[in-house]
Amino acid sequence: MSAPTRGTRYITVIVSLLAGAAVWEVAGHLTTEAFWAPLSATLQSLAEFARGGVLLRQAENSFRLYLSGLALAIVTGAPVGMLLARVRWLRVALENYIMMLYATPMVALIPFILSMMGFGFAPKVLVVFLFAVFPVLYNTVEGARSIRPELIEVAHSFRSNEWRLWCDVLIPYTLPFMMTGVRQAIARGLVGMVAAEFFLSPSGLGQMIMMGSQNFDTAGMLAAILIIVLLGVGLMDLGRFLENRFAAWRGYNR
Amino acid sequence: MSNQVRQAQPRIAMSGAGKRYGALQVFRDVDLTVGEREVLAIIGPSGCGKTTLLRCIDGLIPLTEGELTVEGEHITGPREGVAMVFQHFGLFPWKTVFQNVAYGLKLAGASRAEIEEKIPEFIKLVGLSGFEHYYPYQISGGMQQRCGLARALAVQPRVLLMDEPFGAVDAQTREILQFEMLRIWEMRPTTMVFVTHAIDEAVLMGDRVLVLKGRPSSVHEIVEVDLPRPRDRATLLHPRFAELREHVWNTLMAEARQAEFEVTR
Repeated sequence: MSAPTRGTRYITVIVSLLAGAAVWEVAGHLTTEAFWAPLSATLQSLAEFARGGVLLRQAENSFRLYLSGLALAIVTGAPVGMLLARVRWLRVALENYIMMLYATPMVALIPFILSMMGFGFAPKVLVVFLFAVFPVLYNTVEGARSIRPELIEVAHSFRSNEWRLWCDVLIPYTLPFMMTGVRQAIARGLVGMVAAEFFLSPSGLGQMIMMGSQNFDTAGMLAAILIIVLLGVGLMDLGRFLENRFAAWRGYNR
Repeated sequence: MSNQVRQAQPRIAMSGAGKRYGALQVFRDVDLTVGEREVLAIIGPSGCGKTTLLRCIDGLIPLTEGELTVEGEHITGPREGVAMVFQHFGLFPWKTVFQNVAYGLKLAGASRAEIEEKIPEFIKLVGLSGFEHYYPYQISGGMQQRCGLARALAVQPRVLLMDEPFGAVDAQTREILQFEMLRIWEMRPTTMVFVTHAIDEAVLMGDRVLVLKGRPSSVHEIVEVDLPRPRDRATLLHPRFAELREHVWNTLMAEARQAEFEVTR
């Protein structure tokens, strides 16, 4: 069998998506509205939300929370990861805590965060941050540590100081690993966002899902979920694109 | 004559030098001098500490015993005017050939204009013109080491340290690079310390060949290579070349053979 061409690939993808949509639609009609809504009803709900401005407002709400937490995770995770990779005693001192926190299901910490910080915006950002920061941190540390010692020796041999060593060698080498972490953080942060919106004060897309569920408005609930899914897929693609871009020099990774 | 010049103004001088890692003594009692336009080849079995010795001269690691001066000054760290070519090339894979070659010069604070002007010259010197914008993974091992060589030459070093530079390339490429190196050295003669485990290469490159041997290793013998320069492929056919190679071979292999015989007996 010959390898599939680009054209047949696209056709396969489109047919697969259409089949999925058809199954969704049919499943909706075979069950009650409260249990599963057909795709058409879901899209209708979505259109209503969009028209009423609810969708935009709630999505913006969620997005602000998500991006704040994610940005905070990247700007702390990446530099702290680099530092841990470079400063041995710091790494030895902290790596157990990092592993423990990485392994902890973050949802378990939400009641604690609630009692500590209440219902504001900050505790929600903290939840997204906690979901997202460890993949960035972990991948950065492991990546930065995997550099061949010879390359650092080359830098020393050419009389590089520590600052130049970071700029010329450590950071460019670590970037692709960091981006792998960011890509994972993008996915985990989304989970964190919904969790924060569920378990702290309800808001954003999470609130829409909850309200839909409570009011037996399955179509509305699915509409909100669909938005989150599309957001997730789009962001993952962006993450993969960035990762490949920063890793082009490896000469593989395609 | 050359001997006098050498002794009068050694670029590199080591006396009673030793290096120890905890309980492991790598080498000891190393005395050597290298003159201004001299190539000292260092040969020894793998694991004898030749690379360690070279890294000490580069200032990457300190000696634990003895004295080391380069241009009359004690070595406390990597020094301006000394450059190293690494065994596994040590190229930065995220930098292009041009950026790799420019690395040392850029660190030394050269302006953009200066880099734009000088780097092509060194890329040309090593025969990499046309490959400026390739990444290391896109070029062969031999070309990668040409790039490593250009990077070292670009800082216009007065001391060039070669750490088994052709050890990681295939046999034919290795021969080509050896003659390239000889050609380049004739154009820009500097003090050179050339570490290798290949006997032919040591004799071909060196004005003297220092044989490092034993555990911990020490200077076993220094062989004067009285082959005329410039050297090229014809040098390999010189009867004296065969004699010297045989001599170094015997010096180096005597113990190894003995050990082998003891095992078989």
